[in-house]
Amino acid sequence: MLTYAIRRLLQLPIVLFVVSVVIVGLLQFLPPTARAAAYVKSEQQLAHIDEIIKQYNLDAPFYVQYWTWLKNALQGNLGFSRVDKKPVLESIFTRLPVSAELVLYAFLPTLLFSIWLGTLAAIHRDKFLDQLIRVLAVVFWSLPTFVLGIALVAVIYGYFKLFGIGRLPPDLIIQLAQQANAGEFRHYTGLLTIDGLLNGRLDVALAALKHLVLPTITLILVLGAQIVRVMRSSMLDELGKDYVRTARAKGLPEKVVYYKHARRNALIPVITLAGLMFAFMLNGVVITETIFNLPGLGQWAAAAAIQLDQPSILGFALFTAFVVALANIAVDLLYALVDPRIRYE
Amino acid sequence: MKHGRILTLAAALALGLAFATPKDTFVHMTFGEVDTLDPAQAYDTASGYILENIYETLYTYKKDSLTEYEPALAVSYSVSEDGKTYTFQLRKGVKFHSGNPMTCRDVEYSIERLLVTNPGDSAGWFYAESLVGYDVNAKAAAADELGENPDPQKLEAFLEAYWQKIDQSVECDGLYTVKFHLVKPDPSFFAKLMYTASSVIDSKWAIEHGEWSGTKKDWKDWIGKDLRQGYLHNHASGTGAYKLVKWDGKDVVAEAFDGYWGKKPAIKKVLVQVVDEQATRIEALKRGDADRVTINDRATLESQIRGLPGVKVWEDPNWAPAVASAIFFNQKPSVQDNPYMGSGKLDGKGVPPDFFQDVNVRKAFAYAFDQDAIIEDLYLGHGVKLTMALPPSFLGYDPNIPTYNLDPDKAEMYFKKAFGGKLWEVGFELTILYNEGNTTRQTIAEILKANIEEINPKFKINVQGVQWPDFIRAVSKRQLPVFVLGWGADYADPDNFVYTYYHSRGYYGNKIGLKDAELDRLVEEARSITDPKKRAELYSKVGHRGYEIVPFVPYPLPSPFMVTRDNVTGVYYNPMRSGEFLWKDIVKK
Repeated sequence: MLTYAIRRLLQLPIVLFVVSVVIVGLLQFLPPTARAAAYVKSEQQLAHIDEIIKQYNLDAPFYVQYWTWLKNALQGNLGFSRVDKKPVLESIFTRLPVSAELVLYAFLPTLLFSIWLGTLAAIHRDKFLDQLIRVLAVVFWSLPTFVLGIALVAVIYGYFKLFGIGRLPPDLIIQLAQQANAGEFRHYTGLLTIDGLLNGRLDVALAALKHLVLPTITLILVLGAQIVRVMRSSMLDELGKDYVRTARAKGLPEKVVYYKHARRNALIPVITLAGLMFAFMLNGVVITETIFNLPGLGQWAAAAAIQLDQPSILGFALFTAFVVALANIAVDLLYALVDPRIRYE
Repeated sequence: MKHGRILTLAAALALGLAFATPKDTFVHMTFGEVDTLDPAQAYDTASGYILENIYETLYTYKKDSLTEYEPALAVSYSVSEDGKTYTFQLRKGVKFHSGNPMTCRDVEYSIERLLVTNPGDSAGWFYAESLVGYDVNAKAAAADELGENPDPQKLEAFLEAYWQKIDQSVECDGLYTVKFHLVKPDPSFFAKLMYTASSVIDSKWAIEHGEWSGTKKDWKDWIGKDLRQGYLHNHASGTGAYKLVKWDGKDVVAEAFDGYWGKKPAIKKVLVQVVDEQATRIEALKRGDADRVTINDRATLESQIRGLPGVKVWEDPNWAPAVASAIFFNQKPSVQDNPYMGSGKLDGKGVPPDFFQDVNVRKAFAYAFDQDAIIEDLYLGHGVKLTMALPPSFLGYDPNIPTYNLDPDKAEMYFKKAFGGKLWEVGFELTILYNEGNTTRQTIAEILKANIEEINPKFKINVQGVQWPDFIRAVSKRQLPVFVLGWGADYADPDNFVYTYYHSRGYYGNKIGLKDAELDRLVEEARSITDPKKRAELYSKVGHRGYEIVPFVPYPLPSPFMVTRDNVTGVYYNPMRSGEFLWKDIVKK
């Protein structure tokens, strides 16, 4: 299995190369004046667009632009993010912890909660509990994220004055900035809940956690709904199989049949979905990040797309390809863990 | 008791008890991110807002006035008889945030650095045109004059001459006297010096951190450089009442500077937070997590903000932004691959390139535009008509110039006159673009469409929304027969607008193929004299001539407003300030 994993990892550079060529190539279909949009924020700057095009080499041929980018990329320089006003790599390393922190607290609860609900629904098939779970799953799956997000902000944060928006409350943001400058607070990981603990600042860790509650609830409801439905469906499939009938006939208790046998097999499609969902979440959930003001990768990618910030788009695409490839490898390895029939050479 | 404290803290946090921001802290939630904190590179409002609080210029606006100035880093100044030399006496005892003392050397360095770098997307151009005679940096000027592949010796000579001009443009006479030598008289030069691009930088600190050495030795390496990759991009040592604590590319944290030469401000800590979602900003305002929020438009103000407890709306019918916007009629559109002019002929299926060269067409469009609808429907009654392309608060604005208002009969009359009557017979078709999300541009386009199509069924206007990059491309390529754009003031001098709009070589004049000898003469004369009264008379004539030949139609400006918590006092409105007012003038009760 290790050889298999290594082999898959070695395919990664090829994937990244193809992605980079496609993106740089696609952007060349836009004329230099359109690509200069990333550098033009005002009419005054528009007045100097020709100088801007010359300055950033936007009218150079495709192979020149790609070769310049590739040379720099191989030296660890992915260009400058116009959206973030810092090098692209720095953008990724700054924003990744924000998205990762959300994933850390949202992914497992989403997965566990949804698997549990999906299993319950299947076990109580067609009874009231099943109907209720299915209706709620459809409702939350259909509900646009921004509707749910803004509702939570308005009601829970605005009206009931609970929890917070952004990563921390304003006074802590200021305090940490001052203390970081003085070397009194160190950002070891970029995850505030963990850095707070590592710096002995429980108040920071708890405040950061409090500010993650509302976006986490949003993701659990919106993304979890899909897993509930897949889990239910997969579980019902398993419960209809011969080995389950045999297990029951042998007198095994229902709980053992459900949770030890059927659910394990029912997890396979859920693992696929979970892997994709993990990659999706890590690449940033744009709307959730925007509404709750979390400066993660999704927000960055959306802004880069709208502004045609080529280096940022490319950097994000490569990062996404990297994460998706890794997630797929992890999913394949998990299959082997869950299903003993699956083995790789 | 430690357990008890932790539990209490946890419970309080868990319950999310609302704490308004402390009295010495000012939190502003806005949209629009800072582009850069390098004064020589910044040319947008979001960046200017931070710069005007952490850096200072020689003189500055007095509170909300555009015409009264007060000493800042200089205490007095004089102008030579010929208008080409400006001498400033600097304030003594001023310290930078680094602790270094400010002297003339820092002023000289700051301006010369601006002239040396002068990136294409910066404000350097309007300093360079006064001080070195070119509006572009040395390399761009060389390319303009000598071509793309010049003889190396000629290039070297050109660059040497350019350097000499930079070197001679600013000089120090001792530690506290600085002289500016202009290439020709420029009545707007003093106003230009109040823009953030001429902020005084701590030269010693900058050089220590790898910035330009301030000498001829390495100046060529810095010509046209994108300063967003330099140290000053996200670090600062100014003389302002506030020093930069952190800018992470999104949010800005600043704290009061203990060594400030002026009055110590009541606000000690500032957080400017970018929160893109307006609904979230509003909830934070209601909860007291923000002291000030930026609200996108009047409609949101009236429907969601007005009347909220604990919230104050600041407005005054006399306020007007330092902006002028207009509907432009392009007399020389580019026809190559142009999808916005239909057939490109006067055949009912398009418009010919000289469509707007006929003044009757321009007047017809002007009379088809409903200024009152913009004020009533878009600005909900809070707006002001412009009589010319100049903000009402600027010298030279003449409120007595007539305006074009909706008059379908007159519009019809001029359409019938256009092209000897042929236009009325065959009709036309053109496209007006707006960038998605810009409600003003979209509304103007739709008003024109509705009113003009009603006059004659053979008249067809397509209104199309596109993304910002596509909009820019169409504008910069001069493809749009009609377009809506504006201009925000760089400095509080009418020339910044009047040259841009009315002169044949001004940015807009050039873009629409405007070439009127009388306008050129009036504008050039106004920018060469210093007597404000005479200049005002000339600008009034410009406005009248603009009304006669109607190369564009200025449209109403929205009345500005600000929204804060009601315990915030000291707020005022200066249209030349990117943030409307300075943090140091605020007190929270």
